[in-house]
Amino acid sequence: MPSTAVLLSQAFNGLALGSLLALVSSGLTIILGTLGVLNFAHGALFAVGAYTAFVMMQATQSFVLALLGGCAVMLIIGFAMERLVIRHFYARPDEDQILVTYGIGMVLVEGLRTWFGGNSQRVPVPSWGTGATKLGFLVYPTYRLQLIGIIAALLVGLYLVLYRTSVGLVVRAGIENAGMVGILGIDVRRTFLFVFAVGIVAVGLAGMLYAPVVAVTPDMGASFMVQSFVVIVLGGLGSFPGAIVGGLIAGEIISLTSAFNSAYSEVMLYGLMALVLVARPQGLFGTEGRV
Amino acid sequence: MSLLEVESINTLYGDSHVLFDVSLHVEENEVVALLGRNGAGKTTTLRTLMGALAPRSGTIRLDGRPIQGLPPEKIARVGMQLVPEERAVFGTLTVEENLRVARLTAPNGWSLDRVWEVFPRLKERRTSRGRTLSGGEQQMLAIARALIRDPRIILLDEPFEGLAPLIVQDLIALTRRLAEEGRTIVVVEQNVAAVLSFAQRVYGFNNGHVVYEGSAAALRADPAPMRAFMGLAA
Amino acid sequence: MLSRPLRAAWPELALLVVLLAAPVLLPPLGFSHDLLSRALNWALFGLGLDILFGLAGLLSFGQAAFYGAGGFVAAYLLVSGLVQSVWLAFLIGTLAAGLFGLAVGWLAVRRIGIYFAMITLAFGQMAYFVQNSPLSDYTGGENGIAGVPVPVIGFGASAVRITAGLPMYALLAATFFLGFVLARRIVHSPVGLILKAVKENTPRVAMLGHDVPAYKLAAFTIAALYAGLAGAMLGSFQSYMPPDAFALETSGQLVVQTIVGGVGTLVGPLVGAALWLWLRDNLQLIPGFGSLWKLILGVAFIGLVMGLRRGICGEILHRWRQRGEAARLRAAKARTEAIEAAAALGDAVPPHSPSEVALPEVTLPMPRPVIDGRTAHAEIALEAQGLARHYGGLKAVDGVSFQVRRGSIHAVIGPNGAGKSTLFKMLSDEVSPSAGAVLLFGEQLTGAGVTEATQRGVAKSNQLNQLFLNLTVRENLRVAALARARGRFRLDLLAPVQGRADVEAQVATMLGVLDLGMRAETRVGVLAYGEKRRLEIGMALATSPNVLLLDEPLAGMSPSERVATCALIRRIGRSCTILLVEHDLDAVFDLAERITVLSEGRLLADGPAEVVRRDPAVQKAYLGAAPDEAAGEGTAIVGAMHEPA
Repeated sequence: MPSTAVLLSQAFNGLALGSLLALVSSGLTIILGTLGVLNFAHGALFAVGAYTAFVMMQATQSFVLALLGGCAVMLIIGFAMERLVIRHFYARPDEDQILVTYGIGMVLVEGLRTWFGGNSQRVPVPSWGTGATKLGFLVYPTYRLQLIGIIAALLVGLYLVLYRTSVGLVVRAGIENAGMVGILGIDVRRTFLFVFAVGIVAVGLAGMLYAPVVAVTPDMGASFMVQSFVVIVLGGLGSFPGAIVGGLIAGEIISLTSAFNSAYSEVMLYGLMALVLVARPQGLFGTEGRV
Repeated sequence: MSLLEVESINTLYGDSHVLFDVSLHVEENEVVALLGRNGAGKTTTLRTLMGALAPRSGTIRLDGRPIQGLPPEKIARVGMQLVPEERAVFGTLTVEENLRVARLTAPNGWSLDRVWEVFPRLKERRTSRGRTLSGGEQQMLAIARALIRDPRIILLDEPFEGLAPLIVQDLIALTRRLAEEGRTIVVVEQNVAAVLSFAQRVYGFNNGHVVYEGSAAALRADPAPMRAFMGLAA
Repeated sequence: MLSRPLRAAWPELALLVVLLAAPVLLPPLGFSHDLLSRALNWALFGLGLDILFGLAGLLSFGQAAFYGAGGFVAAYLLVSGLVQSVWLAFLIGTLAAGLFGLAVGWLAVRRIGIYFAMITLAFGQMAYFVQNSPLSDYTGGENGIAGVPVPVIGFGASAVRITAGLPMYALLAATFFLGFVLARRIVHSPVGLILKAVKENTPRVAMLGHDVPAYKLAAFTIAALYAGLAGAMLGSFQSYMPPDAFALETSGQLVVQTIVGGVGTLVGPLVGAALWLWLRDNLQLIPGFGSLWKLILGVAFIGLVMGLRRGICGEILHRWRQRGEAARLRAAKARTEAIEAAAALGDAVPPHSPSEVALPEVTLPMPRPVIDGRTAHAEIALEAQGLARHYGGLKAVDGVSFQVRRGSIHAVIGPNGAGKSTLFKMLSDEVSPSAGAVLLFGEQLTGAGVTEATQRGVAKSNQLNQLFLNLTVRENLRVAALARARGRFRLDLLAPVQGRADVEAQVATMLGVLDLGMRAETRVGVLAYGEKRRLEIGMALATSPNVLLLDEPLAGMSPSERVATCALIRRIGRSCTILLVEHDLDAVFDLAERITVLSEGRLLADGPAEVVRRDPAVQKAYLGAAPDEAAGEGTAIVGAMHEPA
């Protein structure tokens, strides 16, 4: 049995990982819920976010400026992807959507590899985030605590956009019945474009924020993407609250399991997913599955 | 010039030809009923008018402006508003949010207070989610969602279908009131007697063709022509 | 000229020639024997995916799980010394992967599209991590298993080791060739046709009486077996079993190769793999080109998915076939246009007026399910007992009971929203009732499911056509007849699809009955609407049912087509109990002996057609009732407001 201190620190790690997964998955789930497209390029876009932070950080030496610039870059990528490719696939079968987004992901990852080489890059921890913080019962890296706070703020912001603005109102209505939204005079395609871009910015931000903690490589997003698939299955496809709760559950499962036996952390996660798919395929928050 | 002029539209649904050269017109302040058996093409006509289906050929003019082939959101902004058969209330949105979505692109639409005046029941339930409403309440919300946009024409598709008789009476009273206020309405409904009590003119549909046109009063006086499109042999 | 069986086997012969010529002709072009061997290993792996995705339409992103499983089981057995024979290790590895596939597939095949892709992907990842950590004592974790021996042919001194290079090429080429021959047999077996139909329209296959999840699971397991064999051979041929056999990129690479090469062609995976490996091996040598090759391949892949969706081989095959079939297709389309124009003008299309020609009874070659004459209700074909279906608060159907007599034509009518469709779905057990039951010749049918209902002799045609648009008319009917001939599920993977005389006779009879003989080899998507409607009915009849349920058989038909279809229904009715829902009341009163009327989910009337026709309550239900006095003269039509009890 691991000590309380180990468990506590793992619980914190779980919170950090969970909040990151929540941010990645919320982007994935609102795109899936509104547009009906499962974005297999999501992992690649996570890496694109991290590399953007790397480049911007080198150029500006300011993490905040890097984040702002990074959001602008992600926004442009999101718009371009939707306009050039994704919108031609709304009416195509699921399989085609999966294939084309997988292809985009492949191109993005290989683009990064061509541009930056296959070796890992480092993004420095911002000056205000260095060192460790004493929490009384444990000492924890400051930036990781800040990470939890920043992501929480971002998720609250996303919540406010979705639940307190008229754009959010349209998005939530569109998740249910895009056709009826059009009949009520609203251009659904513009909403789709907006949702897609927001989803891409969300995953890009996750990549930027995570960059100082890990080695930045072209393939870094793949495991996050698969884990975020697990998250949205847990939370219910297309459910924003589900993505947050599911993200935290997944993060804690991975971290707490590894406190006992790190070999089983990911296995546990996928085992849980299998269980949910058999027992409650609509997930925790989904009223019904899309299939 | 009529408010709405439809000239020989043809619509296909997948591979089946559903509307054949359908022509009709609707005047300002008029209530027009489309009658016919199930599958005769009435709902398809409404969906074509709204732009949810594109006609293969023919013209549709609203206020003299051709609108055929436009997407629904553009047609809605010109002043046409469909209340679909399945009601399509947003179940995860509250009653008030449902109404606010509808009003977003109708700057000259009604205030919420005006909606509450007409639908006191909806005001009571303003914070309830759409999926928790009863069938009758959902239908009221669907109609309210159209009214709040203050459209030139409302298209009502089977407003009384699947509802309890008492609720149907309420809705008939509401529709009649709208008619008396001078709203322009096109209504599709199986409950012929109810419709004839407030409609002014009738088009009869059969197999995707318009087979009858006449005043509601004439039909009330002599229902014989209805056999051609309502289908019960005497 | 080639003889007939040889001509039918031209793909096998062509592949054989290519495989024999490749190691001689291709090395100067940058295809080393090693590259060709690796391409063949990927291609063997890809044959499984091609059956799963190309044939059955199931896109898996988790095939690496089975590739890795087969590979590591075989490698562990050999390196640990538990098994001496490499061939036996191949076999055990393959079977282990198949078993694993059976387990994963059992979970996965119940879902489609996004869910299916995600489940397979997640299990792929799970397998990767299981190999990597918990089982690392056996699998070497991140190091993999080194020193996997190569296979040996013969014994003792005369034994030949199959080493890397040409010998290994020969082994892999022979294995791929056998795998290809087998895959082609599967594609052209009854199972292959059923899987093709599943890809086109899954619910209809279930409605025709085939156990869809079982067939999908079969396809999934076959794919896993192919993957397992390829994985097992991988370790042996590079004398090292790498952990990235389990990686997500492996599954992804397989999908991309298969699509680029041409999905559904069986040679596509080979061409795709050869192209991928050639690009990697040769472009990497060009300075400054480094990883660019994969970028270019990715862009090409996106282009393929967006535009040319057939892939390289698919496009070539398509153009080849089109050359021969263009004229036939033009003729078929011209005929369709003529029929539709005639229907729109209201002309009679059938060359003979059906009402004037004596209508013979429809005799189907395939026997209908036997009815036990000793049971009490042998004369009541179908009975609804207090059927009810509630959706939330809405009572779509509320306690409906009636009987359909054996050999009669019986109609269900009622105004819109009366609950007819829901009732019909309960009768064929597509929807389970909230209360009540359906009896078929006195035996309970409810709860059996739509597939079993069809097997027991209740077939249904749909209001909206549910046909397999990319299959020919003959193939559509064959799918239906196979359900009666083979039962719910049968794994006759090696039998030729046209090999059953009873099925072929049934299809031929149906083509005649439906007057679609001239259209037998035409793709159903090209048919005129009226022809599709006829085929929709014919599909149900081709399962040799005792009871035929027709949901709005005349929907969307022109007047002349209605006449012809009514005649057809009457003909069928001579040897089969028919229950139909129809809005064309003229046709209903013309056809039906007994009529059941529904209104607002309840039974309003039930009896002989003449009695029902005169029932005032029925008239009222059809025209609606005015709610109050203000309806004024409206009441003159329908009498006083009166809610049916």
